[in-house]
Amino acid sequence: MQTASMQKASWIDPASPEGMGLLAALVSESLGTPTAIHRVTALSGGASSATYRLDASEGPAFIFQRTASSAHAGLPRSTQAAVQQRAASLGVPVATVIATTSPETPLGDGVITGLVEGEALPQKWLRLPEYAAARSALTTQCARSLARLHAAPVSHWSGLGLTGGSGSELLASLFALYLGLGQSIPAFDLAFAWARPRMPTSPPTCLAHGDFRSGNLLINEHGLTAVLDWELTHLSVPAEDLGWLCVQAWRFGEWQQPVGGFGTREALLAAHGGGITLQDLHIWEVYGTLKWGMSCLQLADDHVSGRVPSVERAAIGRRVSEVAADLVHLIAFGEI
Amino acid sequence: MSHPTAAELLASVSLFLKEAEGQLPPRLAFHAKVAANSLAIVTRELAQAPDAAEAQALAPWGGAEATCMALRESALNPSDPALLAAIRTAALARLAVDNPRYATFKRLSERPIA
Repeated sequence: MQTASMQKASWIDPASPEGMGLLAALVSESLGTPTAIHRVTALSGGASSATYRLDASEGPAFIFQRTASSAHAGLPRSTQAAVQQRAASLGVPVATVIATTSPETPLGDGVITGLVEGEALPQKWLRLPEYAAARSALTTQCARSLARLHAAPVSHWSGLGLTGGSGSELLASLFALYLGLGQSIPAFDLAFAWARPRMPTSPPTCLAHGDFRSGNLLINEHGLTAVLDWELTHLSVPAEDLGWLCVQAWRFGEWQQPVGGFGTREALLAAHGGGITLQDLHIWEVYGTLKWGMSCLQLADDHVSGRVPSVERAAIGRRVSEVAADLVHLIAFGEI
Repeated sequence: MSHPTAAELLASVSLFLKEAEGQLPPRLAFHAKVAANSLAIVTRELAQAPDAAEAQALAPWGGAEATCMALRESALNPSDPALLAAIRTAALARLAVDNPRYATFKRLSERPIA
């Protein structure tokens, strides 16, 4: 962690003259035409990455995204970019990769992509009337994109050093994480005990996006334009991605629509190809809800331990109670 | 009593955060909102006693910690309706403090466990 944070301190500001020059050189080389970057705008500073918009003197704009946290646990950007390119070849909508920057260089661990137009905030596209048609098309679009991703054999992803495991192994890792955080939350232990004998033990059959949820989709008035954030991608089974998309935390209050706040489970499973049952999905929803619970506990631990003092991370710690209630509902009533 | 209670002090800080929010740049304004929400949690926690409610609900299994340990050792059946009902009571007591407006709060409160 020490090394990582020192490394980060030496990365330059992408909006500095030097940063803009380096970014322009990478874009120019990739496009084969001299391109000047005349403005860099910080769009967001998430927990794990920072995103910048790069405006060129002429032509389309670009996005530069780089790792933000020294406690970053995701894949290196170069691996994510390679996954994204291979996903694109399968017909999954993703942003075009222009260049990657490595952690040893001044720009840090980042990737430059084309800018895809679309609304990223689910609070907007789940509610605004101009996205009504998008919402009704979205369940099928998500299911088909995931089906294309999941249809590729594991060999499609070879050479990238991706890890993964059976459902049972993934649950065991999550449980180890929980024990490591030293918390005793009855609903969490209930869910672990319930899921343990139910998780599939079969080996991974495909690449799971790993974070396919409402907040990682770009949406225009016709629906899905790009699937973002491939940093938690790993080898698993298709039902993991579908279950994660159904976790309550991404419904933004639209709880009657279990698929991301916009669709039904039945429609999702049918459009994905029909190989997954509601019972399979339910098990992965419990797993996904536990996984979100671990994120809440970890973010809170960042603050409580003093590693990353933050009013926001401290508050997220109390979202654990939402997760606990969701888990009890899932287990007592078989759905949420 | 002439001096403000803890709850009244919290209310005054919440009021201040609301005033300040409008003057702050977007990111800090967002943090002010989060901070006000944390104060609301503290206010509810002072008025309620979620730890005691959890301890009482899980007393038949020796309390929260012992229940967790027993589940880890597979000494309890996670589908046992009595255990589920008790863990629900404990979870609702915490959610009543942390976010009583969360949709699952009402749904989980109202439905009987068979």
